[in-house]
Amino acid sequence: MTPILAQTSWLIPLYPLLGALLTIPWSPAFVTRTGPRPAGYINIVMTTLALLHSLLAFLAFWGKSSPQFFFAPWLNVAGLDLTIPLEASAITLGACVLITTLNLLAQVYAVGYLEMDWGWGRFFAMMALFEAGLCALVLCNSLLFSYMLLEILTLGTYLLVGFWYNQSLVVTGARDAFLTKRVGDLVLLMAVLAIYPLTHTWDFRELAAWAQTANVEPGLMTLIGIGLVAGPMSKCAQFPLHLWLDEAMEGPLPSTILRNAVVVTTGVWILVKLEPVIALSSTASAFAIAVGTVTSIGATLIAAAQIDIKRVLSYLSSAYMGLMFIAVGAHQPGTALLLALVYALGMATLVMGAGSVIINVTTQDLTQMGGLGSRRPITATAIMAGAAGLVALPPLGGFWAMLSLVSGLWEAQRGLLVAIVLLVNWLVAFTLARMVGLIFAGQTQQMTTRSPEPIWLMVLPMAIAAGFTLHLPLVMAQLNLLPAWAEVSQDMALLLTWSSILGAAVGTLLYVNRMVENPAGLIKKPLQNLLAYDFYTPKLYRNTFVLGVDVLSRMTDWLDRYVVDGLVNAVGLASLFSGETLKYGNTGQLQFYVLTIALGIAGLGVLMNWSALTALF
Amino acid sequence: MLTPLLLIPLIGAIALSCWPGLSASQARSGALIASSAALLWTIALFTQFDLAFSGFQFHEFLPWLPALGLNYELSLDGLSLLMVALNSLITWIAIWSSDPEIERPRLFYSLLLVVSAGVAGAFVAQNLMLFFLLYEMELVPLYLLIAIWGGEKKAYAATKFLLYTALSGALMLAGFLGTVWLSGAEDFTYHAVMGQDLPMVWQGILLGLLLVAFGIKIPLVPFHTWLPDTYVAASTPVAMMLGGVLAKLGTYGLLRFGLGMFPDAWAQFSPYLAGWAAVSVLYGAVTAIAQKDIKRMVAYSSIGHMGYVLLGAAAMTDLSLTGAVSQMVSHGLILTILFHLVGVIETKVGTRKLDVLNGLMNPVRGLPMVSALLVLGGMASAGIPGLVGFVTEFLVFQGSYAVYPVQTLLGVIGTGLTTVYFVILLNRTCFGRLDNATAYFPKVTFSEKLPAYILAGLILFLGIQPNWLVQWGASTASAMVAAIPIVAIEVAADEAIQGITDDVQLNDAIAFPIATLPTLP
Repeated sequence: MTPILAQTSWLIPLYPLLGALLTIPWSPAFVTRTGPRPAGYINIVMTTLALLHSLLAFLAFWGKSSPQFFFAPWLNVAGLDLTIPLEASAITLGACVLITTLNLLAQVYAVGYLEMDWGWGRFFAMMALFEAGLCALVLCNSLLFSYMLLEILTLGTYLLVGFWYNQSLVVTGARDAFLTKRVGDLVLLMAVLAIYPLTHTWDFRELAAWAQTANVEPGLMTLIGIGLVAGPMSKCAQFPLHLWLDEAMEGPLPSTILRNAVVVTTGVWILVKLEPVIALSSTASAFAIAVGTVTSIGATLIAAAQIDIKRVLSYLSSAYMGLMFIAVGAHQPGTALLLALVYALGMATLVMGAGSVIINVTTQDLTQMGGLGSRRPITATAIMAGAAGLVALPPLGGFWAMLSLVSGLWEAQRGLLVAIVLLVNWLVAFTLARMVGLIFAGQTQQMTTRSPEPIWLMVLPMAIAAGFTLHLPLVMAQLNLLPAWAEVSQDMALLLTWSSILGAAVGTLLYVNRMVENPAGLIKKPLQNLLAYDFYTPKLYRNTFVLGVDVLSRMTDWLDRYVVDGLVNAVGLASLFSGETLKYGNTGQLQFYVLTIALGIAGLGVLMNWSALTALF
Repeated sequence: MLTPLLLIPLIGAIALSCWPGLSASQARSGALIASSAALLWTIALFTQFDLAFSGFQFHEFLPWLPALGLNYELSLDGLSLLMVALNSLITWIAIWSSDPEIERPRLFYSLLLVVSAGVAGAFVAQNLMLFFLLYEMELVPLYLLIAIWGGEKKAYAATKFLLYTALSGALMLAGFLGTVWLSGAEDFTYHAVMGQDLPMVWQGILLGLLLVAFGIKIPLVPFHTWLPDTYVAASTPVAMMLGGVLAKLGTYGLLRFGLGMFPDAWAQFSPYLAGWAAVSVLYGAVTAIAQKDIKRMVAYSSIGHMGYVLLGAAAMTDLSLTGAVSQMVSHGLILTILFHLVGVIETKVGTRKLDVLNGLMNPVRGLPMVSALLVLGGMASAGIPGLVGFVTEFLVFQGSYAVYPVQTLLGVIGTGLTTVYFVILLNRTCFGRLDNATAYFPKVTFSEKLPAYILAGLILFLGIQPNWLVQWGASTASAMVAAIPIVAIEVAADEAIQGITDDVQLNDAIAFPIATLPTLP
């Protein structure tokens, strides 16, 4: 049984794809009698199948070193032979398990959260499309096909964020998400095109092998490396391409679970696969580290200043992605993947908890919440579990991933980066403590006095995700992902723990015990605004790219209308005008016409016999 | 084998115009029968086509005016085959999506069929003069189609179209005459590389003439200003024919006569051509962003996408030329579905203005299926993978990057700008809030959506199984490249790849079955 499942692991992305296709009858025009719900149930079943399959295949592969490859022909023309290579190994199938699990939880959650929505068919089809795309991406072993899948997911983001398309904020959010991600995709495409003449392959393993012996002109390699890093930058919402993730929060919350937990990490996955190539150029690695550093510090600072619960989480996502960028730039791809795993579970729990708060409080504004601790014990536990799993708090998952990152950096003698990671961790702990404090501690307010736990369809997935987060260290121990205690750098472990505890303590003192009347007042107003308004990035966009393209397009249009076409019309007008003018030269006198004709003939005669005439004289 | 391609639509046209007292729907059925017959005949051609042979097939010869060197000579290679197929398909779709209540139906359908016959003939003509005659033959019917059944500013647009195309025809004639006289050929029969022995200056001048002639038809910036006016003024079926098929006469001519007859001069010009292509792509895309009328937007997008064909042709590699040929087909399919959907929106909603349209995705009162298809069409045009537009653009890029990296990267930026205007279009038309007070649109019937379903199916299918599209033109493209004297750029082979010792047991690899094209007889 299991070997068959392992050999057919290329089927995993096809289950959700089939589920997405099966929802077609419920898209508006066809089946109306049943309502849209069967579409959701079908997709949940298909996701469960995909989960079971990937889990069994994963167990079959676990402990074996050799991965298995599958090839499907795609395009073979004019010397270009493209086959789709899929790699089934413990790591890729493990990622499939994570994706399908989270999607199953998110879909069940959506049944509760979107209970009254009429767009189920579309929603579940898009979720299934995402699941299929993500599973295909992790199984895919080729840069080109990974790029293609990323593009398809970009389109999926547009449609999923634009799910409630009749609200103007949703429409702009969907637009910005699509365009920002597309910019990154196209930069990646440029790098994909540019790398082929050097390597003659897009296969990740062959690229890695090539990178070991490659001898490329440094300038070109730097450009390609930066292109390869810049592509995932937009996926991972790194500065300055981070705004879309914040705006994408306008989409339905169950999709945010999947997006913030795993979709954003697709970029990191590609980076991890490409790490050997990026490492060829020290500038590109430094670029990745710089981007990651700026993002992780900037985004955590912004997150600490937000009063919208979804925004807090969205900027924390950017920050964690930044840490993964640092890991890749510092040549620790394994750590980046570990961090992605820990982050996915923690963030999924936090987003589910946030949704559970929002749906019965009917506001996302943290300043209007408070005192929910007594009314929402399960949600409070889940959010705190998610937060604890995310920051470096032993013995939970986040601690081990961060520890691996920090000790790696320390061994590579990058003390500054260690300090940065500690700072980011401190800020994350503070931000999460602030969020927890604002929601659950203090006095109840108008919005929170009557706010019970939501329907079990939401509570159950949330609790399960929290359970996974808490048990992650045990799973990691099973999978030998934890370092032996002897190898652990105890200084680093202590530093990390202290930074988390300190951050959480400051947050707790300020927002749970409310030591200070108005903690925000501790910071100067301009700085506060700078952080609250996201470093004024929307303004920056409006005044640079958007303005540029807008002005350029208007100018070209003007040029097209009045200069290029104007010239043509002028020629037309001139001929019309000259004809109209000439007609007044017609007098009707025969002699005049004869004279004209005679002169013309004479002129022609001279012209044609010019050579003879010149010979005469 | 080839004469029926001209004859079937022509007989249909004559029959329709001579049959007295036909009602509109009867005339439509008659035209559909004729175009279906032509389409079936095209499919039969595909089954008979020999993929392994890269030259011309199905040769037909009939002396006509031997004294002038004008003979009725037809034959077909991979490039022609794809173009003929596009023509037959889009003619059928244009007739299907014509308004069933159209005025003067007999004249309309017979003109449309005459155009189709002329274009089909031009694609298979093996004689320069015959190509010229058939090229000119579609001119007057199209003028009438625009001038009689067009929309706003139809007279202006039709005249502009007529003048431009007549100029294009005149330049082309000059180029053909010059080629034949200077090369001392006995008649106007087309031979590959027939201009090769001429002095370089003459080659350059003649190629220049043809470039401008076909540049008007494609159109390339700055000869494009007839296009937005004409496409917008033309009714939906005529716009489909113009954008989907007629524009391909230009690129076909460029490949067949420009590249085919003067490969030397072409190779000399190619850096400038690639630059010109990049300018066209960017210009079309940037101008489209500023448009407020969705039909005009689609028209400008056409300018941008034709630039990729020139880019592929300029790079002169096997891959880029195959990409260029395939891009012609994919552009035809995508533009046709976009024009069709825009036409449906215009008839149902009554406007094409971006500022007025809103919320058509609404499942109850909007046009949900049309919106969904519009998303598909727009994304195909923007080059999202999984749809046919990506495959062809990618082939062009992949083929041309090694030769003209800068121009290729500019082309990639062009696809980004394409996304910008399609997002604007989709956000304004499909997304947003539908005004309940005005939203009383007539239902879109299945028959009105059928052309879009067919095209969407093709776009999706060819995007997932691109072999079905690209293989037809591949051998012809290779033959054309082989005729070019110097191979453009030698990519330094990398020994590192060969030396990889893979630690994977290869017998682990399992090829799993995926539908592939059966080898043709």
